[in-house]
Amino acid sequence: MKATFFLALFLGFVGVLAAGHFVPWGAHVRLPSQTHVIANGGRAEQFVIRLPADRIDAAGAKAAGLRAAAPAGASTLPPQLTADPLLVEHFKIRDAAGNVVGLAARHWSADAHTSGTAWSLMIPSRGALLLTAPGEQSAALDTALHNAGYNAGTAWTGDVRVAFAPESADDAIVAAGSDEFSGLAGKYTETWTITGVTDGGELHGTIEIGTVTRKGT
Amino acid sequence: MKYLLVAALGLLIGAAAAGAAIYYNPFTMTKSAHLDVADRALHYSLPSEVLGFALGDAIMPPGTPKRDGSLWEETIDRTAMLSLVLDDAHDNPTAIASRLLAVSPRTDFVLSGVRVNDYWLLTIPGEGTLFLRAETNVWPFLKETLPVWYLGRPWKGPSEYSPTAGPGELGAAVVLGATGRFVGLEGSAIEKYRLTDLDPAARSAAATGELDVRLSASQVAKSE
Repeated sequence: MKATFFLALFLGFVGVLAAGHFVPWGAHVRLPSQTHVIANGGRAEQFVIRLPADRIDAAGAKAAGLRAAAPAGASTLPPQLTADPLLVEHFKIRDAAGNVVGLAARHWSADAHTSGTAWSLMIPSRGALLLTAPGEQSAALDTALHNAGYNAGTAWTGDVRVAFAPESADDAIVAAGSDEFSGLAGKYTETWTITGVTDGGELHGTIEIGTVTRKGT
Repeated sequence: MKYLLVAALGLLIGAAAAGAAIYYNPFTMTKSAHLDVADRALHYSLPSEVLGFALGDAIMPPGTPKRDGSLWEETIDRTAMLSLVLDDAHDNPTAIASRLLAVSPRTDFVLSGVRVNDYWLLTIPGEGTLFLRAETNVWPFLKETLPVWYLGRPWKGPSEYSPTAGPGELGAAVVLGATGRFVGLEGSAIEKYRLTDLDPAARSAAATGELDVRLSASQVAKSE
């Protein structure tokens, strides 16, 4: 009887410790990566954001245009942070097959001389990527929409395509990565395709982010 | 039957003893990292300076009311997104940060605690953007707050935490300049926060925090 008790005690103790140590508590569901090898080496992977479904929130100076509109009830930036142009956006991101695979933050800021864009893409099962590029003009998307006939306060449908980081840009780069993306470097493209704007200013369309990376370049 | 009862009792006591060992385990406490000199010390206050917050369904504390726009997809249901305003030493809003967080596969209740990958984009208007990569140990926070929230235990706070646990040298976070005047700079950072209030009924907490950042020219630039 005593031996049974102590054996069970030992098993209970070791079992819980083993579970605490060996169970993959932090594992995330992983979908097959939608990457493909490109002809001259390296790998290409595209991420997609569908608007408005994947937009989590945004905050920014009014000068940043429609994209700075925060969801109802969201906090607004203190005025001290909007003296210089600033736009912060958060999204869910999808793989090329349309499955949600991670989260993204995009920061755009400018001063009197220059502007810059930084993307942080986090795919929980794989790691994170930092993408950087010179920033687009303030309210560049609004300008393109107005050129296509959009008027603020009225609904609009159409097809406007704006490349914030075009394929020809050598300075739109994959600047860093962690875990599976560690040691990768390369280029990226960013294209916004807007197919509609509601009368409340909500954007409909997609953002496509294409990356081409190589190990240690 | 008697043997079965004795075995069950033994298992239960053994499991409880292991649970206590995990709870009091010193290996899962983060050693407090520190920077010799910080170029920037930025402060925040929660929840007053939160601009946006989203939490994955799988890590939503039980009893928390579901909010619209939660992170429900199975690939991101153990993640969180937090955006907040940071102040300078004079409490002037100075920066905005986006934090993308995901429970880390390095979570281990015996050796390292509950680890979270914490990726920051930190923009200081007029200066540029920094990217911070931190590994954060939230176990010391959880083990003090969960018993208060769910077991009605008294709170012993205010409490201070130093959650940064790497991946850089001496347990600091890694910082990389992304845009503006920060391009070409790299460095390290640590976060500290003080839990100032804990409301079991609302499952809410209030805290003040500090992010210390130290920057220098990148190694590539230095070697040129």
